Amino acid sequence: MSSLLGLAPAPRSEAAEQVRAEVREFLAAELAAGTFTTHVDTWLSGVDPAFSRKLGSRGWLGMTWPRRYGGHERSAMERYAVTEELLAAGAPVAAHWIADRQSGPNLLRYGTEEQRQSILPRIAAGECYFVIGMSEPDSGSDLASIRTRAVRNGSGDWVVNGAKVWTSNAHVSHYAITLVRTSPADPSNRHAGLSQLLVDLSLPGITVNPIRILDGGHHFNEVVFDDVVVPGDMLLGTEGDGWHQVTAELAFERSGPERFLSTYPLVAEFARRLAASPDPAGLATLGRLSARLLALRQLSLRIAAALDRGELPDIPAALVKDVGTTFEGDVIEEIRRVVEVTPSLSSPDPLARALAEAQLHAPGYTLRGGTNEILRGIVARGLGLR
Amino acid sequence: MTSDQDLVVETVRDILSGFEPFVLTPDRSWDSALWSTLAEAGLTGVGLPESSGGSGGELADAVAIVRTLAAGAAAVPVAEQLLVAGPAVVACDLDLPSPEEPLTFAVAPGVTAHASDDGDGPGRFTLSGTASDVAWAEVTRHAALLTSGPAGPVLALVTLDGLPVEPAANLAGEPRGSVVLDGVAASGALLTADEAAALRARFALARAVQLAAALEQVLAWTVQYAGERQQFGRPLGKFQAIQMELAEMAGEVTAVTALTDAAVQAVERGSAELVLACAAAKVRAGAAVEVVARLAHQVHGAIGFTQEHKLHHLTRRLWAWRDEAGSELTWAPVLAAGLLADGPDGLWPALTRVI
Repeated sequence: MSSLLGLAPAPRSEAAEQVRAEVREFLAAELAAGTFTTHVDTWLSGVDPAFSRKLGSRGWLGMTWPRRYGGHERSAMERYAVTEELLAAGAPVAAHWIADRQSGPNLLRYGTEEQRQSILPRIAAGECYFVIGMSEPDSGSDLASIRTRAVRNGSGDWVVNGAKVWTSNAHVSHYAITLVRTSPADPSNRHAGLSQLLVDLSLPGITVNPIRILDGGHHFNEVVFDDVVVPGDMLLGTEGDGWHQVTAELAFERSGPERFLSTYPLVAEFARRLAASPDPAGLATLGRLSARLLALRQLSLRIAAALDRGELPDIPAALVKDVGTTFEGDVIEEIRRVVEVTPSLSSPDPLARALAEAQLHAPGYTLRGGTNEILRGIVARGLGLR
Repeated sequence: MTSDQDLVVETVRDILSGFEPFVLTPDRSWDSALWSTLAEAGLTGVGLPESSGGSGGELADAVAIVRTLAAGAAAVPVAEQLLVAGPAVVACDLDLPSPEEPLTFAVAPGVTAHASDDGDGPGRFTLSGTASDVAWAEVTRHAALLTSGPAGPVLALVTLDGLPVEPAANLAGEPRGSVVLDGVAASGALLTADEAAALRARFALARAVQLAAALEQVLAWTVQYAGERQQFGRPLGKFQAIQMELAEMAGEVTAVTALTDAAVQAVERGSAELVLACAAAKVRAGAAVEVVARLAHQVHGAIGFTQEHKLHHLTRRLWAWRDEAGSELTWAPVLAAGLLADGPDGLWPALTRVI
């Protein structure tokens, strides 16, 4: 019997296992060479353009896209294996992560031929980075309430005013796919009148202000648009269709293994400690965590297989993100129940360091990409309750 | 699911519907009429080879039957027969009893098996000791017992007719008696330690499959109830607080289903990591019970806490099954130790290999 929310089991993919082995070998060599060190939550915090370019040159970005746009026409299952290996190793993947995960697919789906040809090959090469321009200072979960406006001027260009927040790594990125209001808000149809613009972050009138998170890291920003003139041909998709397009983008944003592997490097350190000195309580904890993780992998694999079938599994993606991000946080409490270790960002003990990183990033897991309350609302809709 | 399995599921559902599976009784301890009907339809031999007297078909077909019966709280030992005892007896080249006669399985560390001949294949053994918590001991004719012998574990096939059984029941009222064996003759086969471990794992997987099906059904009932029950002028399901609870249940149920399906596939393809796959499925399914049963009862309110509502038939099974065939406490360390077998850096490669 298939699951209640209707995703068939994923077929096993030999091609995925093959590329998995290649990535694993690459990562072992990079770690040995010291080009990166493992950290928790590196898809937010691990910005390393040189590393991103290496992945691009190996063909591990834009994997599922058509060759004519710099892609590699491989399956979502293969891409899944690559992303999963990178996350498990705690590799620095933040620079390209958003562009490869959702901006590229969004351009493929809705972009003009010119937009695709000028941007997608650079994303696939690991050279062009994107931020998500959705949330605003006064619009978080209630995304349809955004107030950033774009108005056509006499020459057919868009004049943008407003501000976006929580734009991860905007200070090192090239574009923001920005959700803007292009028609006045209509109380009878809140989702109407929204559009997506492809905004070059180097345009005059854009200010990027850092917002530091709990560990002092600079990943978040506020991006302020002050009479920014965006060329008319940088509309993404259809004017007024922004809500629909954002929904599709979120299916990509919510479905990947980064929704349960953000704290995996902490689990790996715990396992190293346990292998050196096994104790029954620790083994029981690792077993329970592993069973949860294995189930999440199966769910996420099912979503990858659904993407390969051309489906857009937005409701299962919301469910997996809810269960997965809950797991990411639980890892911290489960481990500290059975290991005496004081979390510290500066400790020589890798377990203490991983625990500190995981703890200080923890509030974000169940917020970013849609709060778990919003996700559960989506699941409830899938259950027919709303 | 293949069309074969759809057909099988449809057939079992039809049969179940004739037996009013949710009559409002305290317990459903043994449904001999249901068993007879299933047996006459050949459903108690599915997944067992025709050459051994079974009905043929794949493991997946047997799993589909077990799931359907578990969701219906059917009081018949089909999971034990089709998923554990039957395949084990066949694999050991022992004579499979007629699938029309119920056959159960138990891990019986308290029973010793001494060879009563000198053969090194399937042979004759004499069994002594007590097999406790034997599922359906009171009503099955045959039992495949995983016993211990001087040369290692022995799978013994014993006929229970006339043997003293100390009756007992699990939380759901399903028979779980103890069988006293005092020099009882049985056929049997010596197992390697790996074979014995695989057999215990398959038993755990059988319970995980039942748990997955019951969890799904409990969720479906709860969603349905939340849509029907009105308070404050609205169905319960329209309240956000209730929606959050139902979504949390759905997350647990979906995770269990995905992992259990994957473990079944691991068994089907004879994976070298079968034990760890089954261990993971049992741990995950067991862990989901706390959340799903608690929230199901919370949403159902007081009526679900009574024998006047059907919910207890499945929630009590959930609470019972999670501790049978090894609880999370049994299997989580097995899983962890297996995942760490390749050393301190071996966890991730092992996780991606298991399933």
